Amino acid sequence: MTKRRTGLRGLGVALLLIWSLGPVYWAIKTSLQTETDARARPAHYLPTNATLQNYSTLLSGDSDIPAQVRRSAVNIVVECGAATIVTVVLATLAAYAFARMRFRGRNVLFYAVLATMAFPAYTTLIPLYRIMSTFGLVNTYTGIVLVYVSGFLPLATWILHNYFASLPDGIEEAGLVDGARRLQVLWHLLLPLARPGIISTALITFLFAWGQFLFPLVLSSDLSTQPLTVVIAALQGRHVVPSTLLNAAGVLAIVVPAVLALAFNRYIVNGLLAGSTK
Amino acid sequence: MLRSTRLLAGIASLTLVLAGCGGSGNKQSSGGSTQTSGVTITVALASDAPPKAALDAFTQQTGITVNWVNIDWDSLQNKISAAATAKTYFADATNVDWSRVGQLGKLGWFYPVDSYVDTKAMQADVPQLASFTVDGHVVGIPYDASFMVTTVNTELFQKAGVNPAPRTMDEYTSALKTIKAKGVADHPLNIPFAAAEGLSTYWYETTGAFGGTVLDKDGKPQFTSPDSAGYKAADWMVNALKSGLVPPGNINVSDSQGMQNLMARGQVASTFSDYSGNVGTLYNIKKSSSVVGKVKYIATPGASGPAANLSNPDGIGIPKQAKYPNAAAKFIEWFTATEQQADFAGVNGPEKTFATYPIPSHLSAVKQMTAKGNLIGGAELVPMLQGSKPVFEGGAPSWYPKFSNAVYTNLHAAATGSMSVEQAMKTIGDTANQLASGS
Repeated sequence: MTKRRTGLRGLGVALLLIWSLGPVYWAIKTSLQTETDARARPAHYLPTNATLQNYSTLLSGDSDIPAQVRRSAVNIVVECGAATIVTVVLATLAAYAFARMRFRGRNVLFYAVLATMAFPAYTTLIPLYRIMSTFGLVNTYTGIVLVYVSGFLPLATWILHNYFASLPDGIEEAGLVDGARRLQVLWHLLLPLARPGIISTALITFLFAWGQFLFPLVLSSDLSTQPLTVVIAALQGRHVVPSTLLNAAGVLAIVVPAVLALAFNRYIVNGLLAGSTK
Repeated sequence: MLRSTRLLAGIASLTLVLAGCGGSGNKQSSGGSTQTSGVTITVALASDAPPKAALDAFTQQTGITVNWVNIDWDSLQNKISAAATAKTYFADATNVDWSRVGQLGKLGWFYPVDSYVDTKAMQADVPQLASFTVDGHVVGIPYDASFMVTTVNTELFQKAGVNPAPRTMDEYTSALKTIKAKGVADHPLNIPFAAAEGLSTYWYETTGAFGGTVLDKDGKPQFTSPDSAGYKAADWMVNALKSGLVPPGNINVSDSQGMQNLMARGQVASTFSDYSGNVGTLYNIKKSSSVVGKVKYIATPGASGPAANLSNPDGIGIPKQAKYPNAAAKFIEWFTATEQQADFAGVNGPEKTFATYPIPSHLSAVKQMTAKGNLIGGAELVPMLQGSKPVFEGGAPSWYPKFSNAVYTNLHAAATGSMSVEQAMKTIGDTANQLASGS
């Protein structure tokens, strides 16, 4: 009975892995082939004559497509990096205020912030577009970063709030008794203790920002700000872009989030579970 | 202490503002400047930029600098809708697709181009201008002559010993069956059955081939009776899949995927509704095709002889939020002029050629291309363009996107077997009736 259950579980896991990783494997395999091999019928399930030529073309080629991919890769790193930094800084301060300070309307404000997570993101697309346009922020890094920050700040605040709320009051009280100001207490005493929460928040924000498509599509007009996700989608619609090159660009787009998710898996899980148990 | 408390409370409030900043609107864009010199306009199209020398010459001639933005077609439609809904500037000139003409006319998102450009003078030479006219106004000017054509891989047809230029649907179907029976191609016909726009347009073209139309002038469905062309077309398409003429995997293949992965790789022998220009821009390009020199356009097989080709061209128009509508009009006039299109099409030398430009919308430019031997299959394409017809007699209705959605969803369902052709036709017909009556 137990053996049968284990077998079924193994089968379920195998199916899930094939379902989830199959397309990723196929993209990696195609990116390592020449266009002729990739087109071969019947298809090869393992890369024949594996080559890194497509990656080399993307990373150092001087034609139009590699240049676009490289520029959009820089854009996505800048936008996600900046959004992560700003979100974490603001969320840390807000979460500390909500978790540790007493002021009128604190709970109302906190739950109002959390309530915005329930709005479908797309309902804010048009108003945000108008606001960004009015302030001349369409097609700028600042505009895209601000939109990301507005989108991810509630979740980041909630994660960090749970971390701050879980720290013993005594630490802060001791600091205040010793004459430290609030910000000094936060900086010197609480932040070191909340470091795992901050890392989790940064990772989750970065990963969410990396996967964005519709907002940067609408808010960016050209290659000066378009992230990799938007540019790859645009390349897909063109007839003459070799599928091997396109797959290599796709693999590059998933490498960064995949490495982060694998390396810091523990922090991501902890961050998302923060506050769920006492 | 108080200062830091206020600061932190302020940050908390800022969080709230940022998080909920889907707030009220603000100043809307103005009507735009009439300035036509010394300005920079943004042109957003789903295409690479024309040669730099051509754009520089335009700037020298008019004083207008062009900032060209290339966005893929689907994303561009999202941007057009988002910008128009938000009443926000994003480009001075952009794409107007034939299928959205009715919708755009009704919503008033674009300026009537006939207020800026003498469209009457170009009517005779631009047969597809009719597809861009709604309520007597021209919403956009076609910049290429896209229409649906039938392509065949002549090598596969000849290998099977069948005529590579069948003239009727019966001859065409019989040729495909022979190709399959002789094992020349396991599945010789490409029909993109993925639930997407390409399936809808394929059905419109096939309906035309069976001698009918999908909607009448009032938008009423013409395909619910089993004797109608639309019904026969749907039945023919679904049967082609069931009988193995179409690869079974095509249930999830879109139009461009079918062209790139099946037709361009010699996996299928024919695409009944292909893009005009594909022979020159895809099938004869070594980098993306293994059937170079083998694919030809044929006159679209019809019920009793060649049928008219249906137009699905892309146009260019001026959105209402354009900063410089007059300058954009000057650009459109230049971009769609016969001489310019001839240059783009390679009539006057490779340095003036616009690499990804398909076929000019001006008949005179197409004739120049054909005369100079620049248009692959030009002799076949010219009469097709001349005789091409709009998909809908009365222009694309304002509710076209919903109708098309019903078309491809139900045809896809009929292909998967989850409903019959009869049920699919009835559901699409009910949707059309509902939409046409405004309910």
